Amino acid sequence: MAETFDIAIVGAGITGCAIARRLARFDLSICVVEAANDIALGASKANGGLVHAGYDPAPGTVKAQVNARGCELYGAWAQELGFLFCRTGSMVLGFNDEDRAHLEKLRQNGLANGVPELAIIGPERIHELEPRASAQATCALWCPSTGFVDPFEVAIAALENAVANGVTFMRSAPVEAIEVADSGDDARFTLATPAGDVRCRYLINAAGNGAAHLSHMAGAEKFQMVWRQGNIVVLDKEPRTLMPLYPVPTPVSKGVIVTGTVHGNTVITATAAVREPGDTQTYASDVNALLTGARKLVPDLDTRRVVRAFAGGRPVIQGTNDFFIGQSAVLPGLFQAAGIQSPGVASAPAIAERMEHVMREAGVALRERADWDPIRRAPDDFDRAPLARKEELIESDPAWGQIVCRCETVPEAEIVAAIRRRPGAVSVEGVKRRCRAGMGRCQSGFCQSRVVAILARELGCDPSEVLLEDAGSWLVEGPLKGVR
Amino acid sequence: MATLDMRDERAEAGAVASVVTQAFDVVVIGGGPAGMAAALSAHKAGAHVAIVEREQHLGGILRQCIHPGFGLSHFKQELTGPEYAQRFIDQVRATNIALFLDSMVIGVDSGESAEDAAVHTVTLMSPTGMLQLIGRAVVLAMGCRERTRSEIKIPGSRPAGVFTAGLAQRYINIENLKPGSRAVILGSGDIGLIMARRCTLEGISVEGVYELMPYANGLRRNVKNCLEDFGIPLHLSTTVTRVIGHDRVEAVEVSQVDEHLAPIPGTERIVPCDTLLLSVGLFPENELSVAAGVELDPRTRGAVVDQSLQTGVPGIFACGNVLHVHDLADNVTTESERAGAAAAAWALGAVGTAAGVAGAGCQLTVSPAGIAGYALPGRITAVGLTKLNFRVRRPVDAARVRILAGNEELFAGKVRPFKPSVMESFPLPAKVIQRALDLGVNEIVLSVDPVEEA
Repeated sequence: MAETFDIAIVGAGITGCAIARRLARFDLSICVVEAANDIALGASKANGGLVHAGYDPAPGTVKAQVNARGCELYGAWAQELGFLFCRTGSMVLGFNDEDRAHLEKLRQNGLANGVPELAIIGPERIHELEPRASAQATCALWCPSTGFVDPFEVAIAALENAVANGVTFMRSAPVEAIEVADSGDDARFTLATPAGDVRCRYLINAAGNGAAHLSHMAGAEKFQMVWRQGNIVVLDKEPRTLMPLYPVPTPVSKGVIVTGTVHGNTVITATAAVREPGDTQTYASDVNALLTGARKLVPDLDTRRVVRAFAGGRPVIQGTNDFFIGQSAVLPGLFQAAGIQSPGVASAPAIAERMEHVMREAGVALRERADWDPIRRAPDDFDRAPLARKEELIESDPAWGQIVCRCETVPEAEIVAAIRRRPGAVSVEGVKRRCRAGMGRCQSGFCQSRVVAILARELGCDPSEVLLEDAGSWLVEGPLKGVR
Repeated sequence: MATLDMRDERAEAGAVASVVTQAFDVVVIGGGPAGMAAALSAHKAGAHVAIVEREQHLGGILRQCIHPGFGLSHFKQELTGPEYAQRFIDQVRATNIALFLDSMVIGVDSGESAEDAAVHTVTLMSPTGMLQLIGRAVVLAMGCRERTRSEIKIPGSRPAGVFTAGLAQRYINIENLKPGSRAVILGSGDIGLIMARRCTLEGISVEGVYELMPYANGLRRNVKNCLEDFGIPLHLSTTVTRVIGHDRVEAVEVSQVDEHLAPIPGTERIVPCDTLLLSVGLFPENELSVAAGVELDPRTRGAVVDQSLQTGVPGIFACGNVLHVHDLADNVTTESERAGAAAAAWALGAVGTAAGVAGAGCQLTVSPAGIAGYALPGRITAVGLTKLNFRVRRPVDAARVRILAGNEELFAGKVRPFKPSVMESFPLPAKVIQRALDLGVNEIVLSVDPVEEA
């Protein structure tokens, strides 16, 4: 017998996780249904982690409203959810008079969208704010509210807090069919998944690149997704984290941006090309374009120190560049959070806020629970912990002193904690996204076999069953010789 | 955690309240072949020595190198990696060298002691807690790491089944796990060649070894013993241009490259496989050294050292693969014995006697030229017989080593072939150094110049 929930949210990307966490405060039973075996495996893991300020979207669009509001909410969100957030500010660099005119337009856009403290600045101030910015830049749009996060840390933190407040998380549950009963039924929707059926009164579509398919399956709006693919490059750590530097944007994307990360690496993000849906390959031409574009903004950037190149698709709805957030006009009870491409990370908390508002307007009873806890305590991060805390941890369990990942200084106990948290890591990449084991410059060359052994032990399986990422991504076939 | 601005945050690390400290003459970081040889020679010179090793065992990467070929020069006998390591482990165990195993060094700080000599504080973390070792001298012997897929920017998807050769070697030789059934190997470095043979012996079929350069990068003997003897094809001037497969590797696309090493369109070929092993270079692992203030040579990515293998930070020495990547463990041992002896001499206050007389004002830099990829040491601060190491960037049938100072040729070697796979060693006579000083130059050039064949 399928379980019945008040609300099912399809998609555990940053949008679905943010919505789940927002709604977890209410007296509702909620299930997050995810096709993959972990959180944030789609567009949410393949982006630059920028919390854009919101001067870019055209005024009046949904994007314009949720972007600036989302950016504003990030500070409080980071406090409550215990994730790293650096609000460094950013600059859009201009190199000539034409650029300067464009920057002025962006500034006007930003003012209309409610982005605070925008200013056009000259070379001296540029150099003061980011000494490594190109000396060729003659002007810049300085935007103090821009920041950056680890996007999967945000999604994981949001869902951990939701689950701690009673939300159910179903992994490896791709929705294969949707049955819709008459409205008014307690379980209007029945979602068929290989992990079991899920029945719910309200359905929220936060399926990212799968949003169009899900909407069709339910018999709601028929829209098409465009796979606007982007390649991204991560460089090794710098002694001093770079401020986000943007070029003047193009009509389809923000262009090649260089930014620091919360862990001190540098990210170059992102190319934009329409490709076959599902294509997450990196391309030599894209990677070269990124490195060349980055050097234009930061001439002394050592682009040989590539730690990782990856790619993903922006979930763009064909024919619009905007987000689609609202109740379906065709199928009441279905709520859409579709087309959440860039700036989806920045907008996530505001999309969740807006979804709450939309549902309230639609007559969904939202009564806040007295026992809801907004605080998620972040797991101990050994590398960043003060020395006294490090000592305390080792004293509590010697496994805190057993360093497994040498590049990022991740001890065994931190990996075990990443697996045991709810929802915990079930794969080598899941461990990496939660505690950074394997994230560093050697890309798990030294620690992968140890992480596999820890996962096998914790999950009670054979090393041959340990996955790199999702189903089918086995790492080893099994024992070589009979004697073990 | 919460809202953080990382920009000014890194200063915090220094403050330590009440950490247990122990004092030594020489603290060696790394318990592989380099660290053990350095520790033993420092011990023989009368120093009180500690070895810090992040693994549970001494031996370093030799523990997984179960193939023979070690010890031919040092022991005049062919040994496997673990056997070679064991000889040193036994020697270390027979001394009072202090061992800190399972211990990861998280910082090296240099400061002045009461007697005005620099001392170094090595902070380490282990399951028993934090510890600080005070050393008059420190020997860096952390070894190297493998170049990754990202660093050579192989395009395509990112499935399971792409391993560095060393990781696959660990799975097979240490964990007894089979990383796949059908492998393609990119890179004909020694680890790639040795893994081609290992895979074959373990029932993993090797579809071929692909090499970007027009020549094999590993030692000749490995090409013969590991590929030719097993009928494994070596494809030169060919590289992997795409990884295919969403979850697990399903195939790789290989392409021939032109003389600029760029893939030639139209030469793409799909090779089905479930495993891609990468043997595409090694890098000294110097993050710790950089944090300790040691200057690196961009060519070797190891420390800039003088003739006694001392880095730019007085009292910190470097040897083995953390200094420059060696092709033979025996050479690591020899070099590290020198570093250990020099570190002991420094710590015990006998500086200057070990490697010649410190010439007043002897301060020469050594630069590579011609086809020499690097020259080591990068600095000479004493007049004495000095061992120079270098590697050529491409193979040549006929070339000679020349030492130049200003416009003058101070030395010219015999005409002979050179290969990038071989780390060359060359004794520089004291009189050549003296001559350079007499000329008043501050730089000598080690140039390897191809000779036109008649």
